[in-house]
Amino acid sequence: MSRWIAWRIIQEIGRDRRTLAFLLLVPFIVMTLIYVAIAEDETVKVGVVTRGAVRLFASQMIDAIAKEDNIAIVSLNIPDDEIDNKVIVKLIRQELNTRKADVILYMDENLLNERFDNKPGNIHLYIEGTHPTLTATALSAIADAMDDLAAAMPTVIHADCSAMCADSVNSLPMETKKHYLYGSEDYRLVDYFLPVFPPFFVFFFTFILSTISFQRERVNGTLERLMVAPVSFFQVIMGYVGGFFIFAGLQAAIILTYVLFLVSFSVNLMQVIDIAIITVLMMLVGLMLGLLASFVANNEFQAIQFIPLVILPQIFLSDMIWDIGSFPRFFQLLSYPLPLTHANTAMRNILLKGQPLWQSWPQLLTLAGFSIVILLGLMRIRQNKSF
Amino acid sequence: MQLMVKYMLSITALSKQFGQHQILTKLHLEIAEGEVFGLLGPNGAGKTTLIRIIMGLIKPDGGDVLLFGKYRPGSIEARRLIGYMPQQHSVYPGLSVLENVLFFGRMYRMQDADLHQRAVDILQMVELEHRKNDLVANLSGGMIRRVMLATALVHRPRLLILDEPTAGVDPLLRIKFWDWFANMVESGTSIIVTTHNISEAERCRNVVFLRNGQKLEQGTPQELMSSYHADNLEAAFVEATRSRAGNENNGALS
Ligand SMILES: Nc1ncnc2c1ncn2[C@@H]1O[C@H](COP(=O)(O)OP(=O)(O)O)[C@@H](O)[C@H]1O
Ligand SMILES: [Mg+2]
Repeated sequence: MSRWIAWRIIQEIGRDRRTLAFLLLVPFIVMTLIYVAIAEDETVKVGVVTRGAVRLFASQMIDAIAKEDNIAIVSLNIPDDEIDNKVIVKLIRQELNTRKADVILYMDENLLNERFDNKPGNIHLYIEGTHPTLTATALSAIADAMDDLAAAMPTVIHADCSAMCADSVNSLPMETKKHYLYGSEDYRLVDYFLPVFPPFFVFFFTFILSTISFQRERVNGTLERLMVAPVSFFQVIMGYVGGFFIFAGLQAAIILTYVLFLVSFSVNLMQVIDIAIITVLMMLVGLMLGLLASFVANNEFQAIQFIPLVILPQIFLSDMIWDIGSFPRFFQLLSYPLPLTHANTAMRNILLKGQPLWQSWPQLLTLAGFSIVILLGLMRIRQNKSF
Repeated sequence: MQLMVKYMLSITALSKQFGQHQILTKLHLEIAEGEVFGLLGPNGAGKTTLIRIIMGLIKPDGGDVLLFGKYRPGSIEARRLIGYMPQQHSVYPGLSVLENVLFFGRMYRMQDADLHQRAVDILQMVELEHRKNDLVANLSGGMIRRVMLATALVHRPRLLILDEPTAGVDPLLRIKFWDWFANMVESGTSIIVTTHNISEAERCRNVVFLRNGQKLEQGTPQELMSSYHADNLEAAFVEATRSRAGNENNGALS
């Protein structure tokens, strides 16, 4: 009768402490992540650099920008007494590169001279450029602020240099000149998202498939038979690597072709090779994690429960869709132990920033490190545990 | 012909506990080469645990196991020389019969030409040649047992360890299994076989009665039957169990 079947299920799952813990823990984790991802608006970090007499009205400009939504004015590490234009621009690029700021507004000495000469004058916008959403937010906020300011500006000039220029009020709107560190104005949102998908899918599927097939091999008793054959555990794992390599490769090829077809920028052969290398590294991490999951799981219930536990936090916290920089500090720290975070960074370095692969060496090293550490852990567990 | 050692397997003072349960208690056992040796006992006697220790799959708490006079369980030399058929179905259901046999042969580094010939011979022996291209998933229980036997002996092990090979096998096939064991011993393979179906073990050269992880008796089936005045081995086992229980009770009273 149904109620006895229900009772049997309650007994069985209820007694499996770990499955029960997963069952209760996973929704909690996911809800927290969803809340953080949605509640925290992305904030754009805007820096301002002014030189010469421009400072006099720059503060009003800064106030106007800061009033816009989702903008944080950040202070930059550029000495005030640095006046060499070339050096300033170099420093600005550095600050963008390290993501101290997403956009930097540079109003140089010439600006005021040009205004006096009855020219519109240029405001330089230095834009990091790989995050289309951040760029768009910053540009519209700055445009709004400049509209607000346009009305105030003639007065400003009048007040500060009444005698000298009272008769030459310049009411032309200022012009903005955009300099992209990476990419261009043409980057669309999809261009930002697409690069993360090849390693993501390969990781995801390799993880699931290896979790289940290794669990099955344990339950079937075939793993035991491999262990009594003159085969080392390392050879077994390498066999898994070889087997999954084929499928991961096919999958990666399909996703990659699709991605290359969809993105608006062109991708060269070298970049494709770089992507393949990162994808292979992610496949290895997925495989090792899958083996680990099925190793520490005592039954199929537990093995399956590992899947959301590994996949979901990586979707939220790996900078894949939501900018991790906008998350609270605690969650930013949580993103470091997630392999996908590093794969995403490397993929964007290659595709969006056009960097050569070696410049992503910290990411490559981290990903390789994940696989090696888990592999050593597996061999360690294997020594102390029979199947 | 391989050089015979005095004992193919010597077990001294072997003990194993799972949590609070003492599974094996100071077990001593010596098994000679060149025979079918029966490890007999009811369910839960500790047969599988003992075999898993011999295979190096679990570590004993105490005691010693020596294979072929020099190798430890789990050592690469021991693994090469032993074939193992576990109690549970342990072949790949998604592979065909032949593919399973070839796979396990390759795990023992057999060369292809030799392996293919050997696979054909073995499948002929277990009478599965006509089903060699069928997926194991589509076979009956008795056929799967035969596939398992084939995969366990494909690499010509010197010692074949079979854990309840005839469990769930129909009586006719069971007789065939024992015929095959006899043939294998004749061609130089030693066999250790466990069963809880004690009467079938009359075809062993030597047997040991195991109960609660302890040795009740050891000898040839004929010796054991006559010493307990039984006309079959199962009756002898029951008698041995009874008299041991009696002794224990007497000991407790005195
Ligand atoms: N991994 C294990 N953990 C705890 N108890 C076990 C384990 N394996 C076997 N046992 C216990 O050891 C006893 C002997 O089991 P086993 O060796 O399988 O007996 P047999 O093969 O003779 O039927 C049983 O009581 C069983 O419950
Ligand atoms: Mg058993």
